[in-house]
Amino acid sequence: MSHHLFLLSPSDTPLYNLTHYSSKPSQSTSSPLASNLPSWSTSAFAGTLTALSGASSATQTQHGQGGTVKIGAGQDRHVIQMIANASLDAIEEVMRKDSVMYLKSVDKFNEWTVSAFVTPGNMKFVLLHESRNDDGIKAFFSDVWELYVKTMLNPFHTAHTPIRSAVFDSRVRASAKKYL
Amino acid sequence: MSYAQPHARFSVLSNSSLSSGEHLSPAASSSRFSLPSAPSINTTSTPKPGARPNIYDRQLNKTRTTEVSSAAFAFLFSEVVQYTQKRVSGINDLERRLNTLGYRIGTRVLELMSWRTESASKAPKRETRFLPALMSIHTHVWRAVFGKAADAIEKSVENSDEYMIIDNDPPITRNISVPRDMSSLSCSSFTAGIVEAVLDGLGFSARVTAHNTPNDQFPNRTTILIKLEKSVLEREEALKT
Repeated sequence: MSHHLFLLSPSDTPLYNLTHYSSKPSQSTSSPLASNLPSWSTSAFAGTLTALSGASSATQTQHGQGGTVKIGAGQDRHVIQMIANASLDAIEEVMRKDSVMYLKSVDKFNEWTVSAFVTPGNMKFVLLHESRNDDGIKAFFSDVWELYVKTMLNPFHTAHTPIRSAVFDSRVRASAKKYL
Repeated sequence: MSYAQPHARFSVLSNSSLSSGEHLSPAASSSRFSLPSAPSINTTSTPKPGARPNIYDRQLNKTRTTEVSSAAFAFLFSEVVQYTQKRVSGINDLERRLNTLGYRIGTRVLELMSWRTESASKAPKRETRFLPALMSIHTHVWRAVFGKAADAIEKSVENSDEYMIIDNDPPITRNISVPRDMSSLSCSSFTAGIVEAVLDGLGFSARVTAHNTPNDQFPNRTTILIKLEKSVLEREEALKT
């Protein structure tokens, strides 16, 4: 069960991303169609699902058929990024109206749920995950926020540039292991 | 001579193949310089005992109530102004540079201030509407940066997109005397930069400038003028309904 975290600046440039494979047992979420079908056919059905849901999936079906057989709909790197990008619209819409920082789950795509956290400086933290874990995700976002504030306070760090510190990376991983 | 070393160090960094790319930390593994035992940035996970302290270990709340000596700051600020003055072509340029310096501070003030107030709460909130944001600048930012709230907020009657924050005795310009031929200069452009960064961060882009408006009671009275951009006004109108 994996999680993907993206940190985006207010102008939507990616500043940091992380893929984390959790060892915690995942709660069984029903992805309605996929669970009854053998795994080799979910990639084919994923195309239909997304076409029905109206997502811009033209590129995704090509990738789905062109590459090797995948389990579920979202194991590819570019599919993950496409899901994250598509959720930005939903995030922006909620962000304008709601004055909380932790926007719970803003978007759903097959079995992936997208949760978001918006800082006061309008930085977006986007997390793709498969199972529900509201408390853990909230604690994780708070941790990442704290780490981000500490990074920002560094006078040598130019704002809205990619974060490359290895210490930041290791801290985020440790936090992910703890909460996710 | 002391300048040669940083340049040489950076050029070594650009040639050596560090896995973390262009990270300009002086602790990077570079065998040619005998730096004191600093951990190479290629190590992951926990810092070894006796490793250099890094910013991720510091508590953010530790310096919440500490104060900086105003004399030390005045000295630093006067040096900043003198340094800038040698390199600019006029008053507007000087104000713009001070504004940029304040901008860098403002982005950090916004995040740190919000973190300190909101991190403890269950559901942290942020400002989405303009007037509450302005109020929070007027009190919280001023209190965080200067130790006391600003003196007044006003809305301009002529233009609907202008707001003013008034400070009767700004601490940073208290020790600055401006020559008469530059009387339109206000070193509070530094403060204006801070306010501009906070507004920008919250999503309300504006042009912020500082003006001297002395009156009999307070000869140092300064007005920070905030001119909002059209898109912000339109969004506020749409959200109001």
